[in-house]
This record gives sequence, C-alpha cells and structure tokens, in this order.
Amino acid sequence: MRKLATWSKQNWLVWVVASAYLAMMLTRPTDGARAAILSAKTFVELIVTLLSVFVFVGLFQVWVNDEFIMKHLGEQSGFKGLTLGAGLGTVLHGPLIGVFPLLQALLAKGARLGVVIAIVSTWAIKLPMIPLEVKLFGWKFALMRNGLLFVSAFIMAPLMEWWLGTGWVESFRGVSGEE
Amino acid sequence: MGPGARRRRGRDTVVTMTDFILAGVVLALLLLSAAKSRPKTKKALKIGAKQFWNVLPFFVAVFGLIGLLEVLMTPNMVQAWLGSGSGLLAPLYAAVFGGMATGPPAAVFPLGKYLLTQHASVAAVATLLIAWVAVGTVTLPAEIRFFGSRFALSRWALAFVLSIALGLTMGVLM
Repeated sequence: MRKLATWSKQNWLVWVVASAYLAMMLTRPTDGARAAILSAKTFVELIVTLLSVFVFVGLFQVWVNDEFIMKHLGEQSGFKGLTLGAGLGTVLHGPLIGVFPLLQALLAKGARLGVVIAIVSTWAIKLPMIPLEVKLFGWKFALMRNGLLFVSAFIMAPLMEWWLGTGWVESFRGVSGEE
Repeated sequence: MGPGARRRRGRDTVVTMTDFILAGVVLALLLLSAAKSRPKTKKALKIGAKQFWNVLPFFVAVFGLIGLLEVLMTPNMVQAWLGSGSGLLAPLYAAVFGGMATGPPAAVFPLGKYLLTQHASVAAVATLLIAWVAVGTVTLPAEIRFFGSRFALSRWALAFVLSIALGLTMGVLM
C-alpha cells in the first residue's frame, strides 16, 4: 500500500492521463481511440533511442568512479573545480531531488559552494540524452541550448557564492556525519 | 486540429539512421565493457534496465498526454499560449509549467518537439526544456530541508529567471 502511494506520487501523471483517457472513452470514444493510436506511434518512434540511452546510463554509472570525482572539487579547485562541477551536472541522472544528498555530502567533505551550484546549474543538460535531443530538435538547437546552460553555470556559481557569503557554507562542513 | 496536423506527424513516424548509429555506438561500448569485465557489464545492464523500468510509466503517461493534446488542442490554442505572438508571456507560462513538473528529463523532449510542431515559439519550448529539469518547484520543500530556505529559495528563483532568459536567448538565436 505504502509502495503504491510512493509510486503514485512519483508517477502522478499516469493517473491524470489515465483519468483523462477514461473520460474521453466515455464521452468521445472515437477521439479517445485516435489519441491512443497517436500515443503508441510516438512511443514506437522513440523506443530504440530510449533503450540505447538507458544502456549508456548503466555503463556510465558502473565505469566512472566516485572517489576520483570527489577529490577534484575542493575549495582550492578554482576554475577547474567549477568546470568539473558543471560537467558532473551534465552526466548525473534523475530528477534534481535525487542529487541533494550527494550535494550535501560534497559540502560536508569540503567542496566549494560554487561547485555545488555549478552542478545544479547544468542539471538541465543531460549528456546521455543529447542523441534524443538532436533527433527531435536538430544539432543547432541542441548545441546552443546545452552550450548556453553550460556557460550559465559560470555566472550562477559566483553569483550564489557572493549572495550566500562565506559564512553560509561553514555550517555545512562535516554535518553529514562522515568525519 | 484538422488533418494537416496529423499528416505532419505521420511523416515523422520513422526510426531514422541516427537511431541505428546511436544503437551501434552503445552496442560497441557494451561489447568493450564486456571484454574488460563481465560482472561490471552485467551490473551496468541491470542499472540501465532498472532506471528504464522506473521511468517507463512516466514515459507512457507523457506519450499518452501527447496523443490527448493532439486530439484536443488545436494548433491555434498552442499558438495563443506558447506562440511567438504572446511575447514574454509564452516563456513565462512555459517556465511555470515546466517548473512544476517532476518527470524524468527525457520525457520532456518529445513533449517539446510536439509543441514546436504546433507552432509554439522556440523561446517557449527552450524554456520548458530547461525549467522541467532545473527549477524543481515541487521538490522545493525537500531542498529547504536539505540546505535551508535562503539557499533553496534563491537557487529556485535564479533557476526560474535563468530558464526564461536562456529560452529568450534561444528564441533570438535560432
């Protein structure tokens, strides 16, 4: 029961769409059926791309190791740290909420605040998804959108560091109980 | 609506060369991985399958939504809300809607593509793609719990503004 509740919370859209279809089938069955066929078509179009993308995601998570990443994001990491953080944001997977514990761990271990901001700034770039984006929108759109987002990390990071001040990050040092 | 919109979609229904190139590259990586370490490759496939399985319901829902929108929404309606004619409001709507989404990142791409074919402006679609992932209105309470309200609210506001700013920039550049 609890599992179903969690599942529903994550996949609320499933219920919304299912109810919409039910309503359609009851009131306008022809349109409902047409909508269902169009949906299935979209699904078939994208399934090959999707499967490839998720195999890639699995390979990435297995072969890229965490310790190496953690080591290069400290207070002294400067521009390189920001770049690495921005890069990290592009390859980590899932919704924003999934990364909060990792970000907290990074802060606790002495990562620079800017690095954390850089990671969330580039969160909307999904490197493994770029083939999908290119397929749907073309090279120009994909390159520009991702390029602009990447650059924006270098504006967001110093801005948030300045706005929150150096005192803010101190309260996070060592809090996640690892040290 | 009308037959024009449907015909335009119908032409898109192909699995293109790009798909096979991508699948080929991933397959090559998979073989390379298997050559280096069988157990690791197995684990990778497991992770991939699990994540795919987790997002599949949401994907099905989004595809279902696209079908519904196609039948219920006329291109005129999309244009009125998200078209270039509504100026600054189009990306603003897109940012609000995208910001409330909690779906997997990949799900927004087909949705954005669909809106684009229905004459939504590039600025609005680009804003939607960014806001969907980067704003996180629904997860804001969780973020406040992790990092405090000062951090969470300023990051949230900054991401919201940024998604619109980048969307507008895209609109100008494309």
